[in-house]
Amino acid sequence: MKRIFIAVALILFAVYTLSAQVDRSRRPEPGPAPVIQLGEFDSFELANGLRVIVVENRQVPVVSFQLTLDIDPVFEGDATGFVSMAGSLMREGTTNRTKQEIDEAIDFIGGSLSTFSSGMFASSLTRHKETLLDLMTDILFNPSFPENEMERLINQSKSGLATVRNDAGAMASNVSRAVVYGADHPYGEVTTEESLENITIDMIRQYYKDHFKPNVAYMVIVGDIDATQARELMENHFGQWEPGEVPSRTFPTPQPPQGRRVAFADRSGAVQSVVIVTHPLVLTPGHEDAIKVSVMNSILGGGAFSGRLMQNLREDKGYTYGARSNIGTDPLVSRFTARTEVRNEVTDSTVVQILYEMERMINELVDESSLQLTKNFMTGSFARALESPRTIANFALNIARYDLPEDYYATYLERLNAVTVEDVQQMAAKYLKPDNSIIVVAGNRSEVAETLIPFSATGEVEFFDAFGRPFEEPDLMPAPAGYTAETVIEKYIEARGGRAKLEGIQDMTQVITASTMGMQLQVKAYQKAPNYFLQRMEMGGMTLSQQAFDGEKAVVLSQMGRQEFTEGEEFDQFKLQSVMISELRYEEYGIQKELLGMEVVGGKKAYKIEVTSPAGAVSHEYYCAETGFKIQSVSDMSLSTYSDYREVSGIMVPHKTVQQAGPQTVEMTVDEISINSGLDSSLFVIE
Amino acid sequence: MNPKLRLFAFLFLLLGFFTAQAAEQRIEFTEYTLDNGLHVILHQDNTTPNVVVNIMYHVGGKNEHPDRRGFAHFFEHLMFEGSKHIGRGEFAEIVEAAGGSLNAYTSFDVTNYFVLLPSNQLELGLWLESERLLHPVIDSIGIATQKDVVTEEMKQVRDNRPYGRLMLETISRAFTVHPYHTDVLGPDEHIRNATYEEIIAFHDMFYVPNNAVLVVSGDIDIEETQRLVELYFGDIPRGEHEIFRPDVVEPMRTTELRDTVFDQIQLPAYIQAYPIPAQGTEDYYALRMLGSLLSQGQSSRLYRRMVVEEQVALQVQAMPLGLEDPGIHMILSIPNMGVDPLALEEIIDEELEMVRAELITEEEFQKLRNQVESRMVNSNTTIARRAMNLAEYYLLYGDTNLINTEIDRYMAVTREDIQRVAQQYLREDGRVVLFYLPEAL
Repeated sequence: MKRIFIAVALILFAVYTLSAQVDRSRRPEPGPAPVIQLGEFDSFELANGLRVIVVENRQVPVVSFQLTLDIDPVFEGDATGFVSMAGSLMREGTTNRTKQEIDEAIDFIGGSLSTFSSGMFASSLTRHKETLLDLMTDILFNPSFPENEMERLINQSKSGLATVRNDAGAMASNVSRAVVYGADHPYGEVTTEESLENITIDMIRQYYKDHFKPNVAYMVIVGDIDATQARELMENHFGQWEPGEVPSRTFPTPQPPQGRRVAFADRSGAVQSVVIVTHPLVLTPGHEDAIKVSVMNSILGGGAFSGRLMQNLREDKGYTYGARSNIGTDPLVSRFTARTEVRNEVTDSTVVQILYEMERMINELVDESSLQLTKNFMTGSFARALESPRTIANFALNIARYDLPEDYYATYLERLNAVTVEDVQQMAAKYLKPDNSIIVVAGNRSEVAETLIPFSATGEVEFFDAFGRPFEEPDLMPAPAGYTAETVIEKYIEARGGRAKLEGIQDMTQVITASTMGMQLQVKAYQKAPNYFLQRMEMGGMTLSQQAFDGEKAVVLSQMGRQEFTEGEEFDQFKLQSVMISELRYEEYGIQKELLGMEVVGGKKAYKIEVTSPAGAVSHEYYCAETGFKIQSVSDMSLSTYSDYREVSGIMVPHKTVQQAGPQTVEMTVDEISINSGLDSSLFVIE
Repeated sequence: MNPKLRLFAFLFLLLGFFTAQAAEQRIEFTEYTLDNGLHVILHQDNTTPNVVVNIMYHVGGKNEHPDRRGFAHFFEHLMFEGSKHIGRGEFAEIVEAAGGSLNAYTSFDVTNYFVLLPSNQLELGLWLESERLLHPVIDSIGIATQKDVVTEEMKQVRDNRPYGRLMLETISRAFTVHPYHTDVLGPDEHIRNATYEEIIAFHDMFYVPNNAVLVVSGDIDIEETQRLVELYFGDIPRGEHEIFRPDVVEPMRTTELRDTVFDQIQLPAYIQAYPIPAQGTEDYYALRMLGSLLSQGQSSRLYRRMVVEEQVALQVQAMPLGLEDPGIHMILSIPNMGVDPLALEEIIDEELEMVRAELITEEEFQKLRNQVESRMVNSNTTIARRAMNLAEYYLLYGDTNLINTEIDRYMAVTREDIQRVAQQYLREDGRVVLFYLPEAL
């Protein structure tokens, strides 16, 4: 018998109010801290190596048997899912009973019995325990692994997997596992329809033969039973179980990424994003850091409502219904996760806040008061968990399984209360990796994906499918049947305000702020139909350069002097650029256009049109399928993206243009714009 | 060995077993009503040094104004904002700093709040609950924030989740005039439009001692707890308004309603909903056992046939919704990939016809009784569950002691009752049938 007492002097004594009239402004003081008493357990081992833990609890006439195998994970490769299938299939038939007989027998006693790849669980009213154990041992010793039942389970799993494709939460979990642990670690493997196809009955039988041995097993018995009865039952039912060697396996430990990564899974039409900020870490059960880390995590976003993520994202900003973080322990590798679900438009702001809260844990000492709150909260949770006899059983199992000190849980509260604010910061610095984390988002790609680019060290958003496999971007998807370049351009003209409106533009004046390499320039651009063009670039009131075109002559004035063009490639380019809406003039200028198909640009589906000038210069123009606007234009020389279309005198004008030419990026935003203000042709002549 | 003696020993054991079971299972409690109408139930269990302060208000989705559906749940959020002596955001902090945890839920019929604490913090728990009953303080920042939070909750649990709208789509057809026709979350715009005055009026009508039951369970001393309850709750004034309880009777449907809904899902769902009597009625117990017959456990009739034998379904469930007013019995099934939901209907209807036509076997009947016993035994294993059950039995069934005796009501159900309720309530002409299909189809 092991009996453990703990007294925690949380706070002082009660001061009871004696008068009947209560002073409500006074927060009641607690009474003397109660003694938190860990329950008792018994343990023994059978000759075949089966280790048994018994927790007696007579509160209700129920007894449960939990068998746990302590085995290494299996790398399943292209048959991922076969290990868990082996677990499920075990109870679907024995050499003595059909599935139907098993189901009937369990339901008849109102009991439950499930099998897993790493054990079994069975529970019933005490008076049915013999029946229950007969069933349990028949399944454990004589499973027949019927092939027809395997087929059924595989088909059912496939149907189950199909539902994942619309479930952003499940998608995010899959991607997060796959990316954190990697596809070459058992923890990173995700079952797919394809991998289910590769499962064979032989794999399953072999798995069972290799692993279901008493010498790697723990039996945890909880409930209306004492140790003597338990020993007798175990000897009778499990004494004959043959021990044997069980294979062991090791795996390389997954590492956090070098720089921050962004992993995105598209759930089109989603109105919320599931956001997970995560990275792998190593923290074994019972490690000396484990309690300190759980305190640190609890302050950041563990179980308490007062956690910082909950307070920040829910109570302060109203972004979400809930936000929490978690750090588990595991003998091989574990991970940090911060998870929340937020409306699309605040997805990037949410990531900013989660990273900020992670940084804050690392950079600042937490308040003594919030540390104390967390310790009290964790102490209370610990005490409440003890209400269930299963908690003591799990403590005993962990001590045995992970080779923890016998008094690990008996001294848990002492060690919890010894954690300091410095410990918390040290743990944050050691275990939180905001700069080496993976930001996983499952949500609406066209609305959200692009906003996450700034978080990625490489500037790339990586796309994954619902099962965490890299999403192969179809380079070019076919455009809908019947679509031509004309259809797309007509839609574009319509989107910008209609042909009549666009044809009616006589002139346009724009004042633009251009920023590049930390510098800010002011650009004034004037255009006048049919093809007058003037652009003046200024910095701090000083003119840096001017370009002008009057239909016959192009003039460039810069610090390098004056240049003139009346023919040639430069001239042709000026000629085309001087047209305000070039799409209106393609025929007039002899420009060829062809619809190549559709591509995804910046998270949006777009029509791709190839434009060829009479001189043979080729460029590609992209028109958003949803809005009709031109969103990108790519030539050999440069790549321009257009966004922030806003209405000006009935015409939609992009207010933001980003131009990349070689290593240089220029971002241009329109500050002022006017249409048809009556510009004079003389403006465009540079003397 | 003397056979007589052996028999005697056996009988003795059997007897001992049954008396022991009866004694262990009985949940003792003390109940009384304060002068202001607050009903109080105290349950002592000193096994672990924990207490639960649970207060259940007799207000839920069905008490809402038709333009403010979702209000009861929204108000539940606001109850965490603070009170005269508790600043905004402090409520949860105080509980957690005291080593406790807290939560609440809103259903069609009730709103329930619970604070779990170490037993030396009992007085704190009573103070906290009395504060927000007597004088909650809700400011405009809190209202605006919780409107956003509730909007996100709607998306997270309903609008952005596969099958998340299934329940709403079902009840909105099964109920036409009864307020059960909207879910507890309500439409976003109803919450958006809620005003400060409405919030105050809602509190003044429903959050009054005569509309609540307070349960304290766990490591307490009964007398001392009585004193503290009187201290914190005794002087809270009784409500002055007549409590709004819509007296609406849903008319019996006389023809089957068949409808189709599209949602972002991969596999369809097939749903039947039959009108049934309120929870706590004799027939309700028979209907619950009928539900078990159909879908509890892998040997149940629908599960075995649809999931195991014919393999047409991924899932099937038959469950009466236990509600204070007459509710519905739902049968819900998700077909395996490539299976037409109509194939599910055919089997379900065939199996229902079988129950209506033939008495269930004695063996099946015994199985159902064993399943009930097992479920009831496992339903009261924590002080929190006991507190919640005590509150519900008092508030919705009018008999707190059902926590000990409800099993007798199940045991009074006969095979004939099960057949009769199948005939009487699971009728094709009174049901709603809903096809819940993927949008792309």
